[in-house]
Amino acid sequence: MKKALVAALLILAAIPLLLAVSELPPHGSASNATYTHVSAYYLEHGAEEAGAENIITDVILNYRGFDTNGEVTVIFTALAAVLAVLLLGDASTATEDKPSHSVSVVVSFIVRLLAPFIAMFAVYVIINGHISPGGGFQGGTILGALAIVLTLVLGEDEARRLLPERPKPWLQAAAPLTFIGIGLAGLTDTGFYLGFPTAEALSWIRTMWLLAIEIGIGVGGAAIIASIFWTMEAER
Amino acid sequence: MIEALWVNLDYAASVVLFLIGLYAVIAKDNLIKKFMGLNIMETAIFAFIVALGVVDGGDAPIMGEGARAPFTNPIPQALILTGIVVAVSTTALALSLIIRIYRQCGTIEADELREME
Repeated sequence: MKKALVAALLILAAIPLLLAVSELPPHGSASNATYTHVSAYYLEHGAEEAGAENIITDVILNYRGFDTNGEVTVIFTALAAVLAVLLLGDASTATEDKPSHSVSVVVSFIVRLLAPFIAMFAVYVIINGHISPGGGFQGGTILGALAIVLTLVLGEDEARRLLPERPKPWLQAAAPLTFIGIGLAGLTDTGFYLGFPTAEALSWIRTMWLLAIEIGIGVGGAAIIASIFWTMEAER
Repeated sequence: MIEALWVNLDYAASVVLFLIGLYAVIAKDNLIKKFMGLNIMETAIFAFIVALGVVDGGDAPIMGEGARAPFTNPIPQALILTGIVVAVSTTALALSLIIRIYRQCGTIEADELREME
């Protein structure tokens, strides 16, 4: 009975979706309406106007900076919510019978060997975000994954030293803070929050600002991912 | 209609992915499986919107030396970049809520939770 209901519901959902999809403009055509208006402008003027050769970086950090500003606040809020849900209240049940981790020698050795290179790759991805594929979110995710893999191999106490207690809150809030900082710098400079200087000769300032936001997002994203993982890890 | 679907096969594929996710959300009882279904639905939306930006023969929209038109549409990619990060945030929050439910009630099966009330 339930299965029949589910199947009926799925078919009911499938029909309008497939009908709508078949009416869309053909896939990959350059005359697609989404491609001929705003994107065309961004592709033509983005590199000079917004300060980065990577148009996607231009769009997320400059043209639609407000959106990204709100969004880095969302991940910071998610961290705050995870901490509130898991740490407040009865935290007494945790940390009693934690299994002592035993990792194979091969895995441990390989991870130790690769860790510096992974970190270097992450930094490369972050600071080249404006001229090549990559950027703060991507590089930050790689750094966060590095923290997770080190936690699994070295154990939690060793890995937690990557994020010292004292600067920890600042690092976790790095992404919104740099964004607000750049926004206020734009406010004093141009009179608009997140306004980038527009003069032709100041393109290096635009690039530097984008780079600063990328680094802030990278550091903040990595700290948040690692913190969320450690909070959940402590639950076992 | 079949012909149009064949041309827009990428879009049709994301519809199928969306339905798989929807199935998991409504038919599974385990809360983590339900949430995995929700994540599959999110992925379907991401794939759909990125596929909307594809241009035949298009390069990555990165200017500089050696760049030549046509470029793929940068806006869907930028939108989805932000979307993925929000998806990560919701996933983290939902998983921690599920952990909390498990600690409180000792189960994460939706039907058992319903009986408990």
